[in-house]
Amino acid sequence: METTVKAEKLCKSYAGIKAIENISFSICRGEVFGLLGANGAGKTTAIECILGTKIADSGTASILGMNPQKNRKKLFERVGVQFQESSYQEKIRVEELCEETASLYREAADFRKLLTRFGLHEKAKSPVNELSGGQRQRLFIVLALIPDPEVVFLDELTTALDAKARREVWKCLSELKDKGLTILLTSHFMDEVEALCDRIMILKNGESVFCGTVREAIATSQREKFEDAYLWFTDGEEKL
Amino acid sequence: MKAFGEHFNTELKLSLRGMDMVIFAICMPVIVMIILGVIYGSKAAFDGAAYTFMEQSFGAVTAIAICVSGVMGLPLVISDYRNRKILKRFRVTPVSPAMLLAVQVAVYALYTLVSLMLVYITIKLFFGCVFGGSLFLFLGAYLLVMLSMFSIGMMVGGVAPNVKTANLFCCVLYFPMLIFSGTTLPYEIMPKAMQRISDFMPLTQGIKLLKAASLGLPMEGVMLPIIVMAVLALICAGISIKFFRWE
Repeated sequence: METTVKAEKLCKSYAGIKAIENISFSICRGEVFGLLGANGAGKTTAIECILGTKIADSGTASILGMNPQKNRKKLFERVGVQFQESSYQEKIRVEELCEETASLYREAADFRKLLTRFGLHEKAKSPVNELSGGQRQRLFIVLALIPDPEVVFLDELTTALDAKARREVWKCLSELKDKGLTILLTSHFMDEVEALCDRIMILKNGESVFCGTVREAIATSQREKFEDAYLWFTDGEEKL
Repeated sequence: MKAFGEHFNTELKLSLRGMDMVIFAICMPVIVMIILGVIYGSKAAFDGAAYTFMEQSFGAVTAIAICVSGVMGLPLVISDYRNRKILKRFRVTPVSPAMLLAVQVAVYALYTLVSLMLVYITIKLFFGCVFGGSLFLFLGAYLLVMLSMFSIGMMVGGVAPNVKTANLFCCVLYFPMLIFSGTTLPYEIMPKAMQRISDFMPLTQGIKLLKAASLGLPMEGVMLPIIVMAVLALICAGISIKFFRWE
């Protein structure tokens, strides 16, 4: 299988405090990879080092075989990103934000179809800051999909969504995955991870404590449920 | 080109929705022109002058919009976009910093051109002024002044670490230039000492250029202003692109 995202021995520290250390993994085309861990475990730093928005102290990262810093313009024609904090201009409307985003790419997906797919078509004329938290989050997934990407990064995919909306998002992502989309996501919902991820990495204090499938995680931990396995990996004391 | 056009449309719409530039870059110069008109009417610029005080002021008042757009609007929008992490979102798209800056420059250039036309219509219709100079030279000078003021703004927006600092820089640059460069308060009525201080401001040099071109005065004394403006534009634009920061 073709490797689409590769991280090798990524290290990054802020003012002497390490954020991630020796993070290595690779993701194949059409695979969904989940990055798990408590708040502050280094998930976002790992993603940003891969995307090139943060410069790793050491280690290398590549997406679609390209260096994200050197080949930024070429690479991001084919990669979609949803950051944890959504950012948009004051007073901008949903369709304006979509139009503006679409205009940046040589070939963009039809954002109206995406808005419909994510239940936002009626909100096209609404100002973005008048959307509910869940609607805004879905909008930012739409923005990440506008480039019609081969790889998509979704940081905290469904944090603000209600149960029904989460299922809808899962369904949509599963369909895109079947078409060959590679997805790297972070999530705090273990049911979501079980439903979507082919493989996961669990981070603890910036280091990888597990990398493999959900089933392997359960087996290693000798717990029955994945959530318990996750806690077993992240909770050091119980492990002793 | 398509990307530029669509981006420009959205940014222009957003900027118009904000209203502040409409007030400061478009309404304010027209109001200043009307006030000067009410005070000076059709008085000659000085005893024996071939042109009126109003005609002399035209070049200066048209520079208000350049100053407001370039030194206030442009840097603040850039640092605001960085602060809101909008630039960070753009960073993970194929767009180049040069294009993001060019779109904003185009939006603010449009404001100044609309303002220029309205000021011209105002003095022509209400105060019967005539444009005695060369339109070609005037537009050239206007473009040069715009370029240099905008590049100052881009530099401030580009290198200021946050909106607060950008705001401070803008105020330090903007208010002295607005008041002491002769845009609002006519240079000619300033005391000699104040004129000498005023001469140090880049916009003062720019306004001298605009006045010479709009009045059809001999172009002898303009080499210095032209050089000052051009060098300023080159240095600041260079710095703003070289040190552009997404976050």
